[in-house]
Amino acid sequence: MKLSLGGDQRAYAQLLQASARLLRPFLAKRLNSASEVDDLLQEILLSIHKARHTYDGERPYKPWAYAIAKFRLQDHLRAHYADQLHHAIELSEVENDLPENVTESGMSYESISVEVEKLPPKQAAILQLMHQEGYTAKEVAEKIGMKESAVKVAAHRAYKILRKVLER
Amino acid sequence: MESIDNLIDSLAMDAAPLKPAPHPLQLSLGWTAAAALYLVVSLWLSGLRPDLAQKLQETWFFAELAALALLFVATSLSAAVLAFPDLHQMRRTAIAPVGLFALFAAILFFAWRADVPPAPLPVHSFECTISITLFSLLPAAWTFFSMRKFASTHYHWAGSIALLSAFSVGALWLRLHEVNDSIVHVLLWHYLPMLGIGLIGWWLGRKLLKW
Repeated sequence: MKLSLGGDQRAYAQLLQASARLLRPFLAKRLNSASEVDDLLQEILLSIHKARHTYDGERPYKPWAYAIAKFRLQDHLRAHYADQLHHAIELSEVENDLPENVTESGMSYESISVEVEKLPPKQAAILQLMHQEGYTAKEVAEKIGMKESAVKVAAHRAYKILRKVLER
Repeated sequence: MESIDNLIDSLAMDAAPLKPAPHPLQLSLGWTAAAALYLVVSLWLSGLRPDLAQKLQETWFFAELAALALLFVATSLSAAVLAFPDLHQMRRTAIAPVGLFALFAAILFFAWRADVPPAPLPVHSFECTISITLFSLLPAAWTFFSMRKFASTHYHWAGSIALLSAFSVGALWLRLHEVNDSIVHVLLWHYLPMLGIGLIGWWLGRKLLKW
């Protein structure tokens, strides 16, 4: 790190590679999917790069790198659980529908496409991609350059609007 | 895996020579010196309380001022340590203000017990809290501004301690300026608001120090 603070690009690349090797098992123990580990590892490497001026090369490197990794992991988990809570459905929201047949709605995307087109353009595009073309929220996020959680939130809001419109 | 290698390559290309951040002691010393200068100039402009020399002979008044000054130094040092991701591996320094807050509270308790018969309450009340808060704005601003250049992984605590540090300078200024002998008034309107200030700092830390 001392060398990299002096501008040695090779030393810095080696340090980042060693950090990635060090942190990957730490993250893999705490996260479920390999893609999540990869995403977070990239974020941590970016944070290490951004905060490298706070390391002076005089104290041990590992506690410094782990402190950043733990910080980003906590952020990630907080956002993950907040997202899950946001999308959790209250029992009271569905209890009115319970006596009905919930497995067959008899409603297709085509039958409500006119209502979908009246939604804000981004929400309409998301619903079209997810329900007409069959993409997952993650794929839609990649396609339109949004975060997966933002796509889910937009879709959730669109469902709410549609439900109100269709209940009238 | 390939994307990580690509990222490492691009970050390495971006690695220009960089000046390491100053040591927390040096950082804290800068903040303390600036605050001391601000306090001296402010007292020069607003004036010292006329009976200060006599009051300094009183054990509990002197102890209160000394503890407040120590609290300021400890919070300033703790805020500097909290600005680093790994607390600069000085965890004990980061939690030093806890002990000093306990000492300060004990001194205030003894000062209150020694206040017999109780000194009369001044006619004003919340004006003191407002004065301290306004006085603290500048040190708070420069501390937060300076801390934003680092990378705190404990931004809630960092915000809280930074604001308490600034507030303790304000409290010190008012204690040296205002002619007031009522410890009850000082407890209620000078020091008790510190709890609220700590909470505001907690919130501000999230807003200003998250990176």
